[in-house]
Amino acid sequence: MLNSAMPYFRAISTRLITGVLVFLLVTFSATALSSLAPGSAAQLILGDYATPEQIAALNAQYGYDLPVWQRYLSWLGDLLRGDLGVTLFSQQPILGVVLERAAVTFEIAFLAMAVSLIGIPIAMYTASHPNKLGDKVMRSISTVLLAVPTFVIVVLFSYLFAMVLRWFPATGWAKFTENPVANLWYVALPVLCLSMHQTAYLYRVARNEFVTTLQEDYIAVARAKGLPLGYILFHHALRPAMPQILTVMGLSLTYMLAGSFVVESYFAVPGIGWTILSAVKSHDIPLVQAILSLTVVIFVIVFMLVDLGYALIDPRVKVS
Amino acid sequence: MTDVGNSPVFKPGPDAKLGEIVRHAMPWSSRLKLPGASPFEMLAAIFLVLLVLIALFVDFIPGLVSPKLPYGDFSALPEWSLNGLLGTDDIGRSIFSRVLYGARTSMMIVAISTTIALVAGLLLGMLAGYYRGIFERAIDLFANALAAMPSTLVVLAFVAVTGPSVVTIIVVLGIFDIGTYARVAKAGVISQSNRDYVLAARAMGATDGRILLKEILPNLIPALTAVMPTLMAGLIITEGSLSFLGYGIPAPAPSWGGMIASSTDLLSRFPILIVGPVLAIVLTVYAFNTIGDYLAQRLNNRERES
Amino acid sequence: MYSEATRPILSCAAMTCEMDSVSGPLQILQDINFTLAPRRALGIVGESGAGKSMLVKAIMGIAPKGLKTMGRIELEGQDLLALKPRDRARLIGRKVGIVFQNPMTSLNPFVQIGRQIEEAGCIHMGLSKAEARSRAIELLSFVGLPDPEDCYDYYPHQFSGGMKQRIMIAAALICQPDLLIADEATTALDVTVQKEVLDLLQTIQAERQMSMILVSHNLGVVAGRTDEILVLYGGNVVEYGPTAEVFRNPRHRYTEALLSAMPAMDQPAHTRLRTIPGQPPNLANRPAGCPFAPRCPSAQAICHEVMPPMSAGIHPDHRFACHFPLAELPRPAQQEVAHVQ
Repeated sequence: MLNSAMPYFRAISTRLITGVLVFLLVTFSATALSSLAPGSAAQLILGDYATPEQIAALNAQYGYDLPVWQRYLSWLGDLLRGDLGVTLFSQQPILGVVLERAAVTFEIAFLAMAVSLIGIPIAMYTASHPNKLGDKVMRSISTVLLAVPTFVIVVLFSYLFAMVLRWFPATGWAKFTENPVANLWYVALPVLCLSMHQTAYLYRVARNEFVTTLQEDYIAVARAKGLPLGYILFHHALRPAMPQILTVMGLSLTYMLAGSFVVESYFAVPGIGWTILSAVKSHDIPLVQAILSLTVVIFVIVFMLVDLGYALIDPRVKVS
Repeated sequence: MTDVGNSPVFKPGPDAKLGEIVRHAMPWSSRLKLPGASPFEMLAAIFLVLLVLIALFVDFIPGLVSPKLPYGDFSALPEWSLNGLLGTDDIGRSIFSRVLYGARTSMMIVAISTTIALVAGLLLGMLAGYYRGIFERAIDLFANALAAMPSTLVVLAFVAVTGPSVVTIIVVLGIFDIGTYARVAKAGVISQSNRDYVLAARAMGATDGRILLKEILPNLIPALTAVMPTLMAGLIITEGSLSFLGYGIPAPAPSWGGMIASSTDLLSRFPILIVGPVLAIVLTVYAFNTIGDYLAQRLNNRERES
Repeated sequence: MYSEATRPILSCAAMTCEMDSVSGPLQILQDINFTLAPRRALGIVGESGAGKSMLVKAIMGIAPKGLKTMGRIELEGQDLLALKPRDRARLIGRKVGIVFQNPMTSLNPFVQIGRQIEEAGCIHMGLSKAEARSRAIELLSFVGLPDPEDCYDYYPHQFSGGMKQRIMIAAALICQPDLLIADEATTALDVTVQKEVLDLLQTIQAERQMSMILVSHNLGVVAGRTDEILVLYGGNVVEYGPTAEVFRNPRHRYTEALLSAMPAMDQPAHTRLRTIPGQPPNLANRPAGCPFAPRCPSAQAICHEVMPPMSAGIHPDHRFACHFPLAELPRPAQQEVAHVQ
């Protein structure tokens, strides 16, 4: 992924063009999805007892009777105007709902990612003492953690921390803007659950990366200079290992989002995952479509940030 | 070293190596042909073989009750009998039976999704790697689009339109793994197509199809096999999450994720009832991950040697 | 040989290195003995696999994990093997500068070269940021880099191989070490650049009054630049003595074979160079006798069975381990000229 021979700005613009194409591909597919509905989309949304008038009204509003490409173009137009219509049942503006819920998911995902960074110093330490007790123990723990799906962690942790130990509340929510302390209180367990898999994964990748880096000649030179181990790790090993770690952090965002569905539904956190689950239940197709599109935008942005990160970390990647 | 092969009785002492115990208890394990495998990797392989056997032949286990019908008291604690081994669920079905039949559900989804992903990924990856140009760009775009979304989200989007169904899950999960297999196949083709044997075959007038199938394809298999177990573990986790959320395998068919979801209601009173399905999914994912690491390691070593 | 009664900078006594392997402990180095006086240069020569690099790494304490070093290594009278690893690393970092084989990989591509030059000085000598910077820039100009002020902030990929090796030399000099070790320091460079870098090393050694160890597989590299020479074969010292003496009158058959494998100016053009038949010894399967015996044209039965002891030649500092050494040549009249300091 890291290609130092390619001028940096070209890499970024290639990424941007790819991102736009991916966005168009995914949003178009999302629009086309409603054509798969048995019967018609309007029929599906309104249920078996809908009158023809109700169906006609819905079609007029969402255009489910139009060809896919026409519907897609009008959806794109709506997007540019910043108005994606209203949710089917609560009749709130879709864009507002999605962004508000996304902020909640973002908070949890961001905190979980921050917690998972603990894997990096642990990896640094164990990689510099390979096959010692600490290394073996951490490797076993991470291997086991990677085998426990997030939904299992959610169940086990809520049993342990909410039912047996009663350290954290099992469910509930407070807005960060209204009561930050309560918000952090409610968010603790979801964040912990979501970060477990991520921490183990990050640790593993970082450990392998550090082991490889520590075999480089320039590390032998640093050791020959008599530099202390801590200095060598932070000044000579950390930066070379970062590009790979950054890539993995970007890539694992998909896994975190999938994990957030589980975490949010179990702890009743009003985020994107919770929203899409209720949207699925009520066949709120426009809302599902909006969430899919938002996800793609987030991923394109994250990958561009990862590219930017390369340039900050690796002096060989520079705008030419 | 203890001569494990010949000693009629082998008592694993406190200092006996796990590997010796495995080799003694299961002499046929050497037939698995895993050179250089650690005892844990051996056990993982044995576990996966067992899992496939259970998935195939669970119907023929004598005395095992149906996983869909109640057979005893509601939420009965485990007892020392075949069907009661892991207790019963909230409507009195045998959890042991449901765990075994759940293995069939998981294995079936893994097998079919992987077949879809492998065939399509191989085809697309070979086209992209061999012809490059527009093929490569189109297929890269497709792979990028898949990487930009969690497969769970897409399955949920489909479920919103078509309702929960096994077919939807299998197809969507299969499609999502196409990207990875295509990328691995493409990289393999690109690195192989300039090797001497390919150039020689081309010089002798072999057609593209023949070169791809006879010369290049066999060399792609190791790399594809190495990524397969890890992707399979991912499939099991995704299927489990979907069933846990209630949008996976429709009831009353047994699935590990669904069983865990239904036992959460009883968690405060009968936490022991969750052990069966949790162990099943954790051990399965662990086994797939372990074998995946082992294969990737071996592939790495082989590439370094050549 | 040591005209001044000074304490040696570095001495190795009965140094042996072992590495564990599947087939038991492997002796990588066996019974190495030498002393290096202040301001003198030692050449360590041998084929790849003879143990040169391992010897340097064992002295520096950066050998791969699992290597056991026994015997005695003294740096300015301090027994290195008796020190705690941390103290040992600090002492060596302070007293010894080292330049490795491959300048392309010896510099960290992620760190500015100024930083890489000065870091050891900051840590071992407590230099302030400004002091370190001015000293690093001074060294950069000393090793011959144009625009040292600008170079300070550059990253390694902005330099050529020869420049990088000069930077490595500057980094090795930051603590004003008493000993400079160049481990195949020019092998990876172009031939023309090789000579420049070697000449730079020699100048530095003379100007800064340091001792130097020049490790090379190439006898030509050590020929005019060292006072003594140590020939390694299969992890053993086979010959050790004043450079001029060893070149004039090699006694061990391996040294002689190495010398004849070198092209010489007085040979007519297109003379076939001699090669040494056979392979370097397999350390896992050491012969009982002389390690060179399987490849030696003059080997007798005893050579395969008994390890030849170190014996001295006419010159008191010239030692070699051979049962049937080459004949001693009469010493030339102007003998003392050969080792002026």
